[in-house]
This record gives sequence, C-alpha cells and structure tokens, in this order.
Amino acid sequence: MDFDIIFGNAARAGLGPQAAIFALAAIGLNLHFGYAGLLNFGQVGFMMLGAYGTAIVVATWGGSLWLGIPFGLGLCVAFALALGIPTLRLRSDYFAITTIAAAEILRLLIRSSPATDITGGPFGLQAIANSFFDLNFLPDGRFGWGTFSYSSNQLWVMIVAWILVVLCSALVLALIRSPWGRVVRAIREDEDAVLSLGKNTVAYKLQALVIGGVIGGLAGVIDALQQSGVGSENFEPQVTFFAWAALILGGLATTVGPVVGAVLFWFLREGVESFIRELSEQGWLPNALADFLDGAEGAISIVLMGIGLVALMALRPQGIFGRRRSLHLGT
Amino acid sequence: MSGATTIRPELTQAALEAAPPGRLKDDPILITFGMLKTFGGIRAVDIDHLEIERGTITAIIGPNGAGKTTLFNLLTGFDRPDRGSWRLDGRLLGGLPPHRIARLGMVRTFQLTKSLSRLTVLENMAVAAQTQRGERLERALLRWLWQPEEARVRERAQALLERFGLAHMAGDQAGTLSGGQRKLLEMARALMADPTLVMLDEPTAGVNPALTESLLEHIRDLNAEGVTIVFVEHNMDVVMDISDWVVVMAQGRILTEGPPQEVVANEEVIDAYLGRPRDTADGEEEGDA
Repeated sequence: MDFDIIFGNAARAGLGPQAAIFALAAIGLNLHFGYAGLLNFGQVGFMMLGAYGTAIVVATWGGSLWLGIPFGLGLCVAFALALGIPTLRLRSDYFAITTIAAAEILRLLIRSSPATDITGGPFGLQAIANSFFDLNFLPDGRFGWGTFSYSSNQLWVMIVAWILVVLCSALVLALIRSPWGRVVRAIREDEDAVLSLGKNTVAYKLQALVIGGVIGGLAGVIDALQQSGVGSENFEPQVTFFAWAALILGGLATTVGPVVGAVLFWFLREGVESFIRELSEQGWLPNALADFLDGAEGAISIVLMGIGLVALMALRPQGIFGRRRSLHLGT
Repeated sequence: MSGATTIRPELTQAALEAAPPGRLKDDPILITFGMLKTFGGIRAVDIDHLEIERGTITAIIGPNGAGKTTLFNLLTGFDRPDRGSWRLDGRLLGGLPPHRIARLGMVRTFQLTKSLSRLTVLENMAVAAQTQRGERLERALLRWLWQPEEARVRERAQALLERFGLAHMAGDQAGTLSGGQRKLLEMARALMADPTLVMLDEPTAGVNPALTESLLEHIRDLNAEGVTIVFVEHNMDVVMDISDWVVVMAQGRILTEGPPQEVVANEEVIDAYLGRPRDTADGEEEGDA
C-alpha cells in the first residue's frame, strides 16, 4: 500500500488547475445562490461561453488571445442578460429550470454540425493558449515530489488560476460587505419586503447574475488555457453539479467555503480513486470485486463522494464553514 | 368648487356634487378613481372613488375577502388593477412598479411579517434607507463614497431601534426575533424609508395585548410627526382607539366611511361586519316569546 502515491495524487488534484477552475465556478455560484438566492443550475453554460468565446477568437478567427478572453467574458454577460431579463421577474423555480435548459441547449448548439465551422463541433478547437504560455517565466522541468508534481506550464496555469481565485473571492467579499451587497442579501431573504422599501430588486438580481456568471466564465477561460483547447464534452451538466457539490461542501454564503470546498472535492475524488486502484493492484481485494472495479475507479469514487455528501447534509448541512444557526433561520 | 376639480381632474363637476357625504377630503394625499380588480369572475376591488386625508389615521375594516389587502396591493403597485387611476400628492401612480411607488413616499408593511431573517436587525433597518448611494453597483467598491453616509444611516437606524425598544437586539439576526418584535421591526423599517404615507396591513395581528398597546403608541407618535397612516385592522378596539376616519369595505366596494363613532352605529356596517351585540339578540328572542 503506497500512501505516498495516494496522497500525492490527491494533493496534486486538490491544488491543481481543475480545483482552481471549480473554485472559480463555485465562487460565482456562491454569489448567485449563497448571497442573492438565485438557483443557477446552468453555471457550466457560463464556463462554456468563457472557454469557447476565447477559443473561437483565437482558433477560428485567428485573433489575439487577449481579445479572446474579454470576448468570452462578454458572451457571459450577454448570456446572463438573456437568461435573466425574461425569467428573474418570475418565481425562482422558473429561473432554475431555465438555467439548466439554457446551458444544455448551448452545449448542443456548440457541438452541432452546422456550428462546426465556428466551434469545431464534436472536435472542439485546439492550440489556443500559445500566447498565454509565452508569458510563462518558470524554468522547464517538473516541480514537486513524486506523484505530487507539475510541469512548468501546469504550474504557470495554477499560479494564474489561484491568483484569480483570490481576486474573485476578495471581489465578492467586498461587494457583499457594501450597501449593494446588503440589498442583494436582503433580496435573498424576502424580495417583496425589499421591493416595498423602494429597491429595484430585478436590477440587483440581474447584476448578481452577471457578476457570478462572469466569474464562472473565468473558470471556463482557465479551463481552455490549461488544455490549450476546448471540447463540448467538458461542459456537460454534471460540471455544474460538481461546482454545487464543492460549494455545499465548503459552506454557502461564506468567503472561503467555495474555495476550500473545491480543493477538498478534488482531493477526495482523486484520493478515493487512487486508494481503490491501489487496493486492487496490491491484491487486497477479492478477485471478483477487483474485476468489477477495474476501470471503474473514477465512477466508484464519485459514488462514494455522493454518499459522503449525503452524510454531510445529514450531519452538517451548513457545510464546513457555514453557520448552523443561520440555516435554521432560512425562510 | 374649482379647487376641488383641479386636484381631481378625473371627476366632472356633477360627479363631485353627487359624492357621498365625507367622501371629498379637504386636503387629500391619496385619491383613487374607478379602481377595479377582478379575479376570475369575482370583483375583488371595485371602488369608484376613495380619498385619504393628509395627516390622519384611516382604518380600513371589513369582513374577510372584502378586498382590503387587494386594495393595498393595488395602491402600492404589488398588483395591477384592471382599470383605475390613483394619485399620491397629485402624481399618477398607475403602471409604476412597487419600488418606484415606495420611493415616492408610500411605504407598506405586510399582513404576514416579512423580516429579513438572516440579516441583523440593524441591517434590516439600514437596507430601508433611501439615501445610501453605495447601493449602486458602480459605487459598491468605492468605499470612501458611501462610508460617511453609512455612518449616518446606522446612526438613524440605531435611533429608530432605540425608539421601538429593539436597540438591544441590533446585532442579532432578525430571524431570532419573536413575532411581536418582528412587527415592531417591520414598522421601524418602514419608517426608515422616510415615508409620507404608511400602509399597515394588520399591524396588530398575532401580537399580545401589551405589545399591541406599544404598537399603537408608535402609530400615534408617527402620525403626530405628520405621517399619514392607513391601516387594515380587525380589532375594533384598536380601530376605535386610534383612527380618525374609518372606511368600511364589503365585497370589494366601499360600504360607507366616516368618523369611527358614526361608522360603528351604522346599520349596514353592523349587518355586514360587526354583528349585533348578544343582548340585542336576546331582546328579540324575548319579543318573540
């Protein structure tokens, strides 16, 4: 049993670019749901627009990456407005249904054959991040110990991604502590009450949706950069729910919750997967079970994570950093 | 009567002269004409003409389903009438969203108290301030632009909480307050928005007698400061105690209106809402025997 390998793999995933990407997505969701009370089940749609917007400018139109990124984020703003303007006047459940459908429609459009000339359809787009890696000032080679190590370019993506995580966390914290954030949190509690006090609640909800969506779009941009490409299979609905899992694990309406939740999510997911693989390789499992698990370690890991989340909801529904007291006051 | 038509351009001279006694007010802050709201086939609110005198306390009473709350919803923009016009201080409010109406000075409370549970009591108050420009997204991060105003807002909020006996709970989450304290908080919060006209929907419902007394005291104080008050109420003791004027609604229409003493003696009101005192009924029985 090589715990170095298990722990190395887990730590590598917990600190790697994937964790940072999900942390960003979860920070956006936290602004949406944790603070503004907007049930957004289509966060992956924002990530997809950030990633594809960037990639299309670079790979399809031959433009600069530094134009592509703002273009991708601009698409996120447009998506938020298109989603929000018709539905934010309605009850929150209509909004939730619309978000999940809109994100999936977007993915199917992107991978459809008529869109192939622009989006690459099922093949996606490649070689988009050269000018990003040109900025990498780190020396070549690997950094780290054993399985817990990253290539120079991976480390470069991680540095940029985690800086963005810190900046976005600080941005959301500053917004939420401002009078604007007070109105947004008040809307989460009771929209009619806030309307009766003279606040244009639809405008606030729309603003929160745009900002959280753009942060989700940044997650997509980082994803496109770290793979130097985009593919529609990376933006299936489960991505949204992994981000939700990270957010709930860490704790809603807290600053560090979404970040620690994302780190823990990837740490556990990879750790459990490695652990099962090690068990099989060491022959510690009955043959029948080992055969059954062979190649399905990732799936089993997700199943165990799901069971773990259920247990968390039962024992500590406020997440790791949430305040239990607040939960009981929920309206 | 020319002054009467200038503030009521919707009404003809003839209609003005035909208005029932008491309908026309000397200095109305709110004037409503031809307000109709139907739900399916039911005329929930069907009011030809209603005026609220500035600086008074007006009670709206009537049986359940008379349309009192619907009227509140229509006047404050939370629901849209099928037709009708209404003016606050001469300004037409038809079609305005609720937050615009609130900004113009007509602030309401709700029958089911709406406290912002996971905000502190002080935050509940501060969110009602109309002067905090830091509530705009583009200024939210520019702390120095809103910090001085924030200090003033908090000071005012604290003073109001002091007055409503909630100051010791300023830092607690509003969800921890008792039902009565939430009613107080909601009223204090409405005041924080600097209203000229406050619409209270059943302010004493579910409140114990001691707290009811204190709530009424606050309503009187408020009125003494020049705020006009309209409230829906089922407790006739409260109505008799503090209102200057009573409007009786039944089946969406105004049955009658007048000073409280006159209204409770009105036969129609007794039949539709108040019922006959037990001893009168006994008397009839004796007569039959």
